[in-house]
Amino acid sequence: MDKLKSDETPQVSCNTPRRRFLAASAVGAAGVGGFFGPWAHNRVWAQSAQAKPLVIGLTMDASGQYAASGGMERLGAMMAIREFNDKGGVLGRPIEAIHMDTETTPATGSRVAERMINRNDAAFLIGAVHSGVANAISQVAQKYGCIFLNTNSSSPTESGKDCHRVKFVWDGNGTNFAQATVRNAIRTGGKDWVLLTNDYVWGHNTSKATRALVEASGGRVIEELLIPQNTRDFSSYLLKLQQLKPQVVATAVGGDDIKALRQQVVQLGLQKRAAWINNQQDWPDVYGLGPESIFGVFGTTWYYRLDLPGVKEFVAAYQKQFPGMAIAVPGNVYYNGYMATRELLRCVQEAGTTNNIAVIKKLEGRKMSARDRMQHYDAWIDPVTHQVQQTIYLASYNDTPVEKNDIYKILTQSESKDVIDPAAAGSCKLESHEATPSYER
Amino acid sequence: MLANLLPHLVNGITLGLLFALIALGFMLIVGVMETINLAHGSLFALGMYAALFVMVPRLGWFPAVQEAYMALPVGTRYALALFVAPLLVGCFGLLLEACLRRTYGLDPLYGLLLTFGAALVIEEAIRVVWGSNEQQLPLPAAISGAFLLGDLLYSTYRFYACGFAIAAIAGLWLFLEKTPYGAIIKAGAHDSEMVRALGINLGRLRSAVFALGVALAALAGVVMAPIWGIRPQVGVDAVVPAFLVIVLGGVGSLWGAVTAGLLVGLVVGMSGAFASEWSLMSMYILFIAVVTFRARGLFGRKSILDT
Repeated sequence: MDKLKSDETPQVSCNTPRRRFLAASAVGAAGVGGFFGPWAHNRVWAQSAQAKPLVIGLTMDASGQYAASGGMERLGAMMAIREFNDKGGVLGRPIEAIHMDTETTPATGSRVAERMINRNDAAFLIGAVHSGVANAISQVAQKYGCIFLNTNSSSPTESGKDCHRVKFVWDGNGTNFAQATVRNAIRTGGKDWVLLTNDYVWGHNTSKATRALVEASGGRVIEELLIPQNTRDFSSYLLKLQQLKPQVVATAVGGDDIKALRQQVVQLGLQKRAAWINNQQDWPDVYGLGPESIFGVFGTTWYYRLDLPGVKEFVAAYQKQFPGMAIAVPGNVYYNGYMATRELLRCVQEAGTTNNIAVIKKLEGRKMSARDRMQHYDAWIDPVTHQVQQTIYLASYNDTPVEKNDIYKILTQSESKDVIDPAAAGSCKLESHEATPSYER
Repeated sequence: MLANLLPHLVNGITLGLLFALIALGFMLIVGVMETINLAHGSLFALGMYAALFVMVPRLGWFPAVQEAYMALPVGTRYALALFVAPLLVGCFGLLLEACLRRTYGLDPLYGLLLTFGAALVIEEAIRVVWGSNEQQLPLPAAISGAFLLGDLLYSTYRFYACGFAIAAIAGLWLFLEKTPYGAIIKAGAHDSEMVRALGINLGRLRSAVFALGVALAALAGVVMAPIWGIRPQVGVDAVVPAFLVIVLGGVGSLWGAVTAGLLVGLVVGMSGAFASEWSLMSMYILFIAVVTFRARGLFGRKSILDT
């Protein structure tokens, strides 16, 4: 049964009639159990002696535009959970992960979140790549007070106008990446820009941040071409692009769309006609595409060949736990899934409770050392926006790879404080702790 | 203005021919067998993967064979893929049709559900065998790269694909119009009972048509692979425009499908160039506009709901 706090905060009622029915069924079953011999009786006792598992709901895409990334972040979360389970779980409770496909669809995200909270007794929700899905899940999570870790969706609105007390955003956001890339691109590429924007919340907000920085740096945006999600044919955009003759093309296109776009740009050789920057390049979207498709400069939060303590061991752990994977080495998406889950479980351990408010307070303002996160600079969770402020790397294709997976060349790393989204704090209005429903499983 | 418009017009036409190519197999099965094959997209994706297998086989147990095979020129392997992939998927189509046979004569919903289920199974099977990562089909140098269209670069491969689509459409038309077997297929579509009464094995005819439709879906997959990329879920991207083109063109009409394909291609291409955010939506708007006033499509004799 749920252990809901009986204080002044609103309480969550979870399917009470159903629970009564189940309880009655259990009593009935126990009564009938005698007819099935002592083993059934023993099994009931054995179960009651065990600590109740801590259920974590993994709200990750297994289909749709971000299926590949959803799969990788799920593995990252699973590795963190396994590490804790190998040490006896958290607070003496084994951790049980349940996964449901959010289908890269906001409506499905809402439905999955509702189901996990109300029917599966999930203590926490983890996972999102698509910002629309992340926003949908977080609205449901806030309604109940369930902590939700947005692992990989990076619309600036996630820690801006759509922020919530229960939501923590682990990836760098579009503005962080734009801060790192734009000035550099104006200096090296030129002042006339065209923006290619995925026509949904992440694309819009990322391009908005890019536009503001371009204009503030003395550049100009000639045109912004909005690309509907799931576009497979970019020929008309690429013809238009040639007619516009920009010096720099900045893409905020993700998932399967960026894969198709990259291939079609290469077919035309357009990567040589302008400087290309992709706000953020997720590893699963580029892995296996071939060297010629990895053109331009792009942002990331982590790379498997960073010369930092712990990186080699992390890669080895991935390869040991998931042998024979199509993606032979972990990337930024897997990394975020792992880091978010690990930090959450640490906070639960430190708080000594799964109570949401206690854990939220542990997470807010939390400092994480560079060494612990295998990045160049220390990171922290901004208490005002719940955004993880962290190192942002600029990368390009590596034409001198040490081995076949070594496809990125890390060009620069920006310190967390230098790439903060200045607008986030003003637009984020977190619900108060008191207004957030108490939630404990 | 016209100089600016011309590349987009050409692009719209090539795009339209590719849409028509994707829809050909779908059209054949709907038109002749009166079955809406929702697995069309997954079979299109399977064609891509079959081509990948033919071009870059993973013969772990026979490294010497693998090495010798990979030493063949890319062009040779690509030509093999164009021939072998549709053949393999066509054979799989025969199996699928054997399952589908039980639904003939029943409510069309049964066939619809069976092919929908098959689509899900095929997509997941692809994921299990090849993984969910993006794959690439190697291309011969002769059809790679770009050429100048006016003063703009345009993809050589896209023109090749467009030419291939024209050849496939012409080939199918010749087969249906100029061969005795084509005549039987058309007669079967028109009056299957009469065909049976004339002593023609209707079951075998249906199997052959289904296999041919599936092989055409796979062929379209092979041609589209370098443009769209190879992913398990790519079938969804194919089945929607295919369905739209069939309904717009009219059930069972080859030239209807071609015309509708061109129309959709032009609308999507032009809106992509001048109102980019409307490019995907435009095909649905066109669809609604046509179907509102002409439910049986541009060249159809009956609505798809009458199949």
